[in-house]
Amino acid sequence: MGKRGVWKLGAVVLAVAMLFAMGCAKKQEVKSGEAAGAPPAAESKAPPGGIVSESLKPEAPPAPAPGDTQVAAAEAGAAVTQERPSPFQDIHFDFDKSFIRDDAKPVLSSVADYLKKNKGARVTIEGHCDERGTSEYNMALGDRRAESARAYLASLGVPASALATVSFGEEKPLDPGHTEGAWAKNRRGHFVVK
Amino acid sequence: MMKRLAGLLLIFIAFVLAPAPASAILYIDINAPGGRRMPVALPALVVASGDQSLATSIPKVIGDDLGMTALFEILSAKSYLERIVPAHFSGRTLSFSDWKLIGAEAVVIGKVDARGDQITVELRLYDSTLGNMMAGRRYTGPTRSFRTIAHKFSNEILYAFTGVRGIFDTEIAFTATSRGGRDKGVYIVGLDGHEPRRITDNRSFNLFPRWSPDGDMLAYTSFKTGVPVIYLRNLQDGSERALVKFGNSKSPGSFTPKGEALFASVSVGGNSEIYRVRTNGSNSEKVIGGWGIQVSPSVSPDGRKIAFVSNRGGSPQVYVRDLPGGKDLRISHAGGYSTSPSWSPAGDRIAFTSQAGGKFSLYTVKPDGSDQRLLVSADGDCTDPSYSPDGRYVVYTFQKKGYSELKIISADGRWGKSLYSGLSGVGSPAWSPRR
Repeated sequence: MGKRGVWKLGAVVLAVAMLFAMGCAKKQEVKSGEAAGAPPAAESKAPPGGIVSESLKPEAPPAPAPGDTQVAAAEAGAAVTQERPSPFQDIHFDFDKSFIRDDAKPVLSSVADYLKKNKGARVTIEGHCDERGTSEYNMALGDRRAESARAYLASLGVPASALATVSFGEEKPLDPGHTEGAWAKNRRGHFVVK
Repeated sequence: MMKRLAGLLLIFIAFVLAPAPASAILYIDINAPGGRRMPVALPALVVASGDQSLATSIPKVIGDDLGMTALFEILSAKSYLERIVPAHFSGRTLSFSDWKLIGAEAVVIGKVDARGDQITVELRLYDSTLGNMMAGRRYTGPTRSFRTIAHKFSNEILYAFTGVRGIFDTEIAFTATSRGGRDKGVYIVGLDGHEPRRITDNRSFNLFPRWSPDGDMLAYTSFKTGVPVIYLRNLQDGSERALVKFGNSKSPGSFTPKGEALFASVSVGGNSEIYRVRTNGSNSEKVIGGWGIQVSPSVSPDGRKIAFVSNRGGSPQVYVRDLPGGKDLRISHAGGYSTSPSWSPAGDRIAFTSQAGGKFSLYTVKPDGSDQRLLVSADGDCTDPSYSPDGRYVVYTFQKKGYSELKIISADGRWGKSLYSGLSGVGSPAWSPRR
């Protein structure tokens, strides 16, 4: 074999070696009913405080992965969680209802009288629910209760500017118990004077 | 002559040795029902430097993850014959016959090196029959992220066996009462249920966390200013901005599939309606109006339909509306009070909670309202369902009297576990997307 022959043989050997390498490295495609897509490699994102990884198999690309997130800085918070004192009694509602009951009307009359006598005063009507049911729904129900009381006070002649409403849903139970008695107390409208 | 020979040789090689069109080695069909589980061994890791407890705590996370799938049987370490040593990571092959002898069809080995407050974890999955490495990865990250590293390799293991991406590194946001307090904070915990991290830090009510589709942001309602506002919190840098301030009560629902808007319910004048709010704050439009209470919007994966709760029929039930402005179809027909829809990211079912027989249980139903099935019922209330991003699991709140707990159930109702009960008043769980 001449020099040229040796080079050609070498080229063939190299070609064989490359084919081998390609064959071994080619990833087996996966048949699956799922939308499997690529192996779990995240898109390139900076890994915040996080984890970087590389594959130990030759063909898979390294995949930076997002890691832990950071806890937010401390924020000052308004102390809305405590029951705010009131010169008025609470009014109460039926389960999943927001209509004004007869037993609420005397309390509402006294709120209306107070606001008529004290022209500059403002009252916030809080709507509350018992713990049953789900939180988002109870947030909205508490609003309906507060609004219902507001509308009744308006019908007694209280101007809109004197009233505000807020709902706390089921988040501020007055009675932490889990009985019908506790629940009845928690389904309430609460009046806070500013 | 040489030229010709070389040419022929090359053609011969090309035909014989070129990679054949790929056909799968499909070890496990994740969708095929069937009892047989793949036996896997998870020996202790080699901890070359650093915390020795990682030798067992990392395999434990992996074992718990694989246990969720009901596809694997983790063999007891008591039966293992071969001890893993550093040489196994620098050329020594495993004694596969020892592993096959105890019935292990796959083995996961690993090595940990610590450097300061960082660890490098190398994990390898071997097929003990073929004797090859099915998956291998080296991770570097803070030492405290060892569980996340383990979860990520569990994803690799599932992918290697089934061709399906796992969700083991996803997380669950939830709310809980701080110790001794009456407030509510937003927390995030991994599927291992360990060491939730607190996201909000104000002594107020922080409620209804909901993930953006890229997993970078949480929307939630906070009373920290004294009145409810929906905020968008950037989890990467902790910054946040107020997104919805108008109206009274408000709670975030789903984001749109691409994340450019958030569906939220907002009460105005005592009526709660559903709005679509652009996350860049540019505008909001009412999507589902009505007298009464409309809350809890959950959008379909294609963004074309929305499930929501309405009490227009007298009591709260779940409806589906075709967007934009289509007709509403009631889909809940369980008990007299049905709420909290969660549309599966797989698109085919909607989970919700319903009160029947004096307690709340979880149901799933097709989006057309057919094929309603009980998902889970217990001696207490099961509420707040939220699907995993692959649609295979549901996280929910279990409550009984004053006690509450986050639990996970598989979407077929056959497998379940407790996720977290370390704080009081846990609830409102929301499963993160994949990152």
